[in-house]
Amino acid sequence: MITFHDCHFAYRAHPTDAGVLVLDGIDLQVRDYEIVSVLGPSGCGKTTLLRMIAGLVRPDRGEVTIDGRAVTGPGRDCGFVFQDHALLPWADVLSNVAFGLELRGVGRVEREDRARALVQTVGLAGFERAYPRQLSGGMQQRVGLARALALEPSTLLMDEPFGSLDAQTRRSLQDDLVRLHAAAPKTIVFVTHSVDEAVRLGDRVVLLGRRPSRVEASFDVPLRRPRPEGLDSVPAFVEMKRDLWARLRSQAEAAS
Amino acid sequence: MTTRTWDRRVTPPRDPAVWRWRLAVAMALVLVWEILGRSAGTLLLPSASATAVALARLLVSAALWRALASSHAALVLGFAAAAVLGAPLGLVLGRRPAAGRALAVQLDALMVTPMSAIIPLVILAAGLSLWTRAFVVFAFAAPVIVVTVEAGARDVDTRLVEMARAFGASPRQIARRIILPAARPALLTALRLGLGRAFSGMVVSELVLMAAGIGGLILRFQADFDAASVYAVVVIVVAEAVALMKTAARLERRLAPWQPPGAVT
Repeated sequence: MITFHDCHFAYRAHPTDAGVLVLDGIDLQVRDYEIVSVLGPSGCGKTTLLRMIAGLVRPDRGEVTIDGRAVTGPGRDCGFVFQDHALLPWADVLSNVAFGLELRGVGRVEREDRARALVQTVGLAGFERAYPRQLSGGMQQRVGLARALALEPSTLLMDEPFGSLDAQTRRSLQDDLVRLHAAAPKTIVFVTHSVDEAVRLGDRVVLLGRRPSRVEASFDVPLRRPRPEGLDSVPAFVEMKRDLWARLRSQAEAAS
Repeated sequence: MTTRTWDRRVTPPRDPAVWRWRLAVAMALVLVWEILGRSAGTLLLPSASATAVALARLLVSAALWRALASSHAALVLGFAAAAVLGAPLGLVLGRRPAAGRALAVQLDALMVTPMSAIIPLVILAAGLSLWTRAFVVFAFAAPVIVVTVEAGARDVDTRLVEMARAFGASPRQIARRIILPAARPALLTALRLGLGRAFSGMVVSELVLMAAGIGGLILRFQADFDAASVYAVVVIVVAEAVALMKTAARLERRLAPWQPPGAVT
């Protein structure tokens, strides 16, 4: 279980700046094996939440705990999937997937075996020796996903991972993520700016307010897994999306 | 399992038209040179054909090869020192912004100062030896290497550094696994640019500082009013410099194929 206890955070360009308050008392719990979608206006600190769980930044006040233990530095039990893929351009697919294993000193043969299996899992068999620039955006993000899975983390942190993909590619990656989660459940915190994606993937949708932000609301998605085919015409799905849209719109209006 | 092999290199398709143009331009230049040389009819501007004859004579003479060996000793020593000291310094300056800013003024000064101006100082300080010439080569090459590597190290994609941290990399691992490979294209560019400067340094030191090696050869032919041989030596120097640059550029594309050539200069 991941818990935010009253977390505050100010963004500072320099350590001495007064800074811009981004998070103003975040309280949030993420249960094990749950997929939580995080929605909110841009600049509200969604990515900062993920970075806090990963231990890349520490809250100015409050703390994040995982299973009761405070996060104090880059954790070893989180796989991070980045918005812009962040693949090593000089390394082929196999080496990119094996990157985390390499950092931990796993021997070449073993890490390449494990990476090869994962490359297959994310549907990239045959591209083991390709370089990132030879792959499409969707394929690059599959590599990013495989790299995060390689460390067998209990938690996946995903920062708008499919944001830059076209609709069709995006849908196919979403489906794959749901399949992977069903086969090997993990706790997933999924930051997105797409209402559709948030509801489609999440067990729960957490809505952040405008900066400086708090958790404005949290909604359980009233759909059991496995979710039906043709989700787009399921009333509960459609209604929930409509409600969230209305909320986001009133947020935007309140601001202007 | 079958694994497709991927070509790492991006070789632009070879266009025969380019080679036809190169040949045409070269022939036109030689033709103009020949006409000018013949019509001027002076000692100062030898014709292309006279230069070619002198070149052939030079290539079989022991004097040329002795001069080349002497010059290149200074080139190799000076350039190696510039690379071995300059590249690590550039890396450190690029990753330690405070240090980089502290040395920026001195480096800029070195970049814009005509190195020929400091040669008399070097003679006063160090006398006339192979080491002095090597030092001049070093002084020509080192600043551009430091500055180019610094820029490359500074511009390493911060998202990759962040990614490595998220995957639990130590500062040491980040340096080895992210900074070094990411800076490799800049490093290779730096060495290519440095080599070009080192080459200039070699010739300049021999012309201005002491009549040694290739420069000495040029001065000797000049004193004999043997303009054709002077031109022939210059042709040799230019040809070698171009060949070195081309080889270095090709090596760069081979060793850092993910960077489009010319992205860092």
